[in-house]
Amino acid sequence: MLEFKNISKQFDKNKALDNISFNIPENAIFGLLGPNGSGKSTLMRILANLITEWDGEIKFKNKKLNSDKSYLNHFGFIIESPCFYEYLSARKNLEILCRLTGTDFRIINELLDLVNLLHRSEDKVSHFSYGMKQRLGIAQALLHDPQVLILDEPNNGLDPFGINQIADILFHLKDKGKTICISTHSLNEVDRLCSDVAIIKNGKLLKSSPMETLHNEKRFYRLETSHLNDAVKFIKEQKSIDIIYKQKNSIIVSQNIKKNDIKFDIVKDKTNSVKSIQRESPLIQFFYA
Amino acid sequence: MLKNILTNEAIKALYKKRTYISFVLLTFLVPLIILAIGDGAEYMESRIYGQLKDSFIVIGSITNGYLSSYLIIAILISQMPFLSTIVASEIVSGEYSKGTFRMYLSRSVSRNKILFSKFVIVQIYTILMMLFFVFYTLIIGCLMLGVGDLAVFHKGLLFLPQEDILWRFFIAFIVSTLVMIATSSLCFMLSTIYKNSVTPIIITISAVFIGSAISFIPIPLFEAINPFLFTGYIDLFLAAFFDPVPWEVIIEATFVCLIWSGIFTISAFYLFNKKEILS
Repeated sequence: MLEFKNISKQFDKNKALDNISFNIPENAIFGLLGPNGSGKSTLMRILANLITEWDGEIKFKNKKLNSDKSYLNHFGFIIESPCFYEYLSARKNLEILCRLTGTDFRIINELLDLVNLLHRSEDKVSHFSYGMKQRLGIAQALLHDPQVLILDEPNNGLDPFGINQIADILFHLKDKGKTICISTHSLNEVDRLCSDVAIIKNGKLLKSSPMETLHNEKRFYRLETSHLNDAVKFIKEQKSIDIIYKQKNSIIVSQNIKKNDIKFDIVKDKTNSVKSIQRESPLIQFFYA
Repeated sequence: MLKNILTNEAIKALYKKRTYISFVLLTFLVPLIILAIGDGAEYMESRIYGQLKDSFIVIGSITNGYLSSYLIIAILISQMPFLSTIVASEIVSGEYSKGTFRMYLSRSVSRNKILFSKFVIVQIYTILMMLFFVFYTLIIGCLMLGVGDLAVFHKGLLFLPQEDILWRFFIAFIVSTLVMIATSSLCFMLSTIYKNSVTPIIITISAVFIGSAISFIPIPLFEAINPFLFTGYIDLFLAAFFDPVPWEVIIEATFVCLIWSGIFTISAFYLFNKKEILS
């Protein structure tokens, strides 16, 4: 549905995006995963026409995006934290954005209800909490009924309750046929919400894949240990296990999915050094790549 | 669509407190100065007449609403560039700094239309502020001190008859507004560059001060370039009270101010279209 082809962007001497290509399928919740400063927001800003000079090609429904901004009618954005005219009410803010796209004001109540802010619609945005602003951000992105939602770190700064509220809204929107792309640096968020993922690091694409494929390739575990060397020595003896990353007190290992689950109890018994073993997301391999 | 965007910009400006600073300031300041002029009329007149009193018998008072308005405009006109930057400095840079452009510009509306709407609001504000400044001063002055002939200095002491004054104030308003439009256009252009609203104000006021200094320092280089700078015409409103009115100088000033306004505005559009919204 949305194709990025050889996208590059340079700020002075720093290459923010380096020849990135991937596709976002229709009706997916697509995760753009990467550490801070990896280039996720830059990519979203390019799509939102906030960055005007870049290299490459973006196609939406097989049609190349160009300087004609009409394609933006199909997209709704939250780029970085949601920012509003704080001295205006939530309703006035949405009215301003409705006027920009010629959208009927009647949709405002419907959207404020969706994000559970209808009862605060006349309050100034300056009185809103961060979570409320984030939800209002989703409402503003949906005002012109876009097919694709691009949300930059929608759960950033939210408490678990707020994160759940956003997740509920996203699943509801997916059910209504929207395609959603979220950027995040949280593996858990992608694991929980996304059907597809692209991992970006230092402006380069490491992997783009359906989540299901990643889950079917390898299993990943984190071993907490008090005797790192003993644990490493034992794991190296096991042919089906690879060490991904070593820290002071923990080791991240991978195991081929076709092999039987590693008997970590044996590890525990044999080395007497492993305190705990946790299953990890397959996405962790890219963070420690 | 343009009407909608203009409505948006008008709403944003009307809901901000800073939009009203100039009007509130003038509302209180002008009557106070008029009161002071009325109170010190005798002393002021003795200073104006000077040695003329030895040769002429003066009957009645020259202190009236017209004279007080003329004096107030002369006193405050050099402060008006500062007030004219209040809205212009923030109208674009404020949206950069608060991040609202991320939401506003990611919609299918051309940047030119958005900037044009902002430019219109800045200039409407500038014109309304100058209109309020000149005519509020005139109305309050006439209400508090009455009307009469206007005594001004131009090749000596010149008395302008009462029926020959109002149109001169209108010309003074036009001339001084043109200079303020050029000033606010400069500030507007700077607002498209900077992410904070203080820098455009500082640069604009510095430019006005330097320009004014050039017009006051009598050296050949400055005298040669001064006619081409809009800052050289800040006190040109005085020419509206000369007899005869030097129309050729006023027309020249009009062209200079409009050309500078055009340069600043075109530059603002170019810079804004190139601007990458990274914060």
